[in-house]
Amino acid sequence: MWEFILRSLEASTIFTFAALGELVDQRSGVLNVGIEGVMLFGATLGFITAQSTESYLLGFLVGTAIGGLLGFLHGFFSVTLGVDQVVAGMGIWILGFGLTTYIGCPYTGPLGMERIPTILGFSPFFYAGIALAVVSWFVLSKTSLGLRIRSVGENPSVAEVSGIDVTKTRYLCTTIGGMLAGFSGAIYALFYNPVWNYNFLMGWGFIALALVFFSMWNPLILLGGSLLFGTLWQLSLNPQLVLPGVLSRYIWRTVPFVITIGVLLLISTKWFRTRWGAARPEALARPYVKE
Amino acid sequence: MRIGSYQLKLEKRVTLSGGEAAIISVLAIIFALALFSSIFILAEINPLFAYREIFSYAFANPYGLPLTINRFIFLLLCTSAFIIPFRAGLWNIGMTGQLYMGALGAFAVLFAFGGKEFRALDLPHGIVIPLMLIAAALGGAVLGAIAGFLKGKLDVNEIVVTMMLNFIAFWLVAHMIKEGGPFMNPGGRGESFELPPSVYAPLIRGIPFTIFIALGVTVLLYFLFAKTRIGYQIKAHGHNPAAARYAGISTFKIPLLVFTLGGAVAGLAGYHYFAAVPGVYKIARNYGYFGDLAFYGIICGLISLGNPLAAIPVALLFGGLSIGGRFVQGKLHVGFGVDYALLGVLMITLVAFQFFYRYKITWAKTGGKVRCGSSSLEV
Repeated sequence: MWEFILRSLEASTIFTFAALGELVDQRSGVLNVGIEGVMLFGATLGFITAQSTESYLLGFLVGTAIGGLLGFLHGFFSVTLGVDQVVAGMGIWILGFGLTTYIGCPYTGPLGMERIPTILGFSPFFYAGIALAVVSWFVLSKTSLGLRIRSVGENPSVAEVSGIDVTKTRYLCTTIGGMLAGFSGAIYALFYNPVWNYNFLMGWGFIALALVFFSMWNPLILLGGSLLFGTLWQLSLNPQLVLPGVLSRYIWRTVPFVITIGVLLLISTKWFRTRWGAARPEALARPYVKE
Repeated sequence: MRIGSYQLKLEKRVTLSGGEAAIISVLAIIFALALFSSIFILAEINPLFAYREIFSYAFANPYGLPLTINRFIFLLLCTSAFIIPFRAGLWNIGMTGQLYMGALGAFAVLFAFGGKEFRALDLPHGIVIPLMLIAAALGGAVLGAIAGFLKGKLDVNEIVVTMMLNFIAFWLVAHMIKEGGPFMNPGGRGESFELPPSVYAPLIRGIPFTIFIALGVTVLLYFLFAKTRIGYQIKAHGHNPAAARYAGISTFKIPLLVFTLGGAVAGLAGYHYFAAVPGVYKIARNYGYFGDLAFYGIICGLISLGNPLAAIPVALLFGGLSIGGRFVQGKLHVGFGVDYALLGVLMITLVAFQFFYRYKITWAKTGGKVRCGSSSLEV
């Protein structure tokens, strides 16, 4: 049981990092539906680097860097070129899915390195994830940088008039968002499940995207949401812990996805929207064109 | 930007004619293929040689051509499934799940007729094949309708929902065909039971009859969008849902309709690959691969700008490229997954080229050297 709780918390750490990145992104008004692709890239290149240099540090650095690069690319598409952000995000996802399958294939198999040491049973990432959630909450709601980011996400033309560089702020957020997603992918491939296989994420990135919608763009609620989904995910892999012998293990794998749809449905009801709907960044997914 | 005495200017497009759009799309494909040749260069293969091998296998080889045509039928159906919601401004990335459900629907009919136990069963194919087609379309339509209903009723993000449904359908197929599932092969090989030969899809010169379905669907869609009221309503919803609502177009019915139709077409793609392509005739263990291929439908739909007829040549080209890519991968010993890599490169190039649908670069010869003395290049 303890083992199960540990694994669940590790899983939720991955959700936390990816979803926090997406949250920062969306708070500045940019929607990136392709975080699964960014995570795949971070995971694959991190895995390859770590395996060939035998250094976890380099693996994480490369994973984070490629994530940042893809985040920047998404910024270039959606901020500079003004391409539809959904199209751009789809592009990043399919690029990640397609290219990592090709690049990673020769490395299929286990990582074969000593496991990352844990502190009191938990990985260092678990603590870092909680700290990061608190820090992002603080930065976003209590500092002038946070105000800048939020105002760009709510009303970019007003922000521009008050002297905020919309383009720069959005680039900053998409790049940081990408770095966090890349890092979370690297955690998956280097710690949570250090075996490379093609398209191994199977929906982590999309659930992280949905988590941001649930969180009402609040990092602390997001932390709670990722704990819930981390546990659910782990449960779907080990159904025998709750209901041994009921339904096949494949049916259990659908549970996190069914619940995601259920929660999305809940937050889309009129009842919910009239109460908490205002949390959505006003300018989300709308390109800003300076007049 | 100035080059010599020419000035390069970026201009916002007011309109985009069909011809201009076609030129941009063709340029995007050429650019992507040029970019993709870096993969061959990295593998120390002459890209021109590689492309010649790809195209000659895909389009001029007696073994490759039927494969290309079968893949073309599949991609065209997936593209149509993407295009219908796309014209209404909605994203169907759930073709993968919808085609799995279509495959399950088709096999459910066989299961009901007892096709699992006796492969030699002589089923009346004039009844069973139409039933399989209907069940496949229904299976896909139900999954599509879920996303359409949620979008129309509660405005739930359709991208996340269709993606979640993809994973749900993926595991449902696994449940049905593996580890004692109802459709499991009696031999216990983690794949579905095989189609009785009596209900193999009729072939016309080696090509399954589904080619007529795929082409028929695109022609029907073309007329739907060009000539009918409902097509007009779909397009109006795509331009501006809020304005469409003021014009009396239901913002509930349109999403539900387009996703149901899209799902049904994707379901037929599932029938095609698992029950009509010669040599397959079962839900194979690697069914996930066919699901992944459905994402080419997104690219075809985007490149053809939602025009069903324009999707025909695009689907044929990509069908050929993915088949040829698989072939050179084995022949020239390139790494596994060339067709996946091509998918990614094409998609990202296409995204960048979206820019040119809205802006154009114009050349203008500037006047003499005297009048424009701003450039430092001029003496």
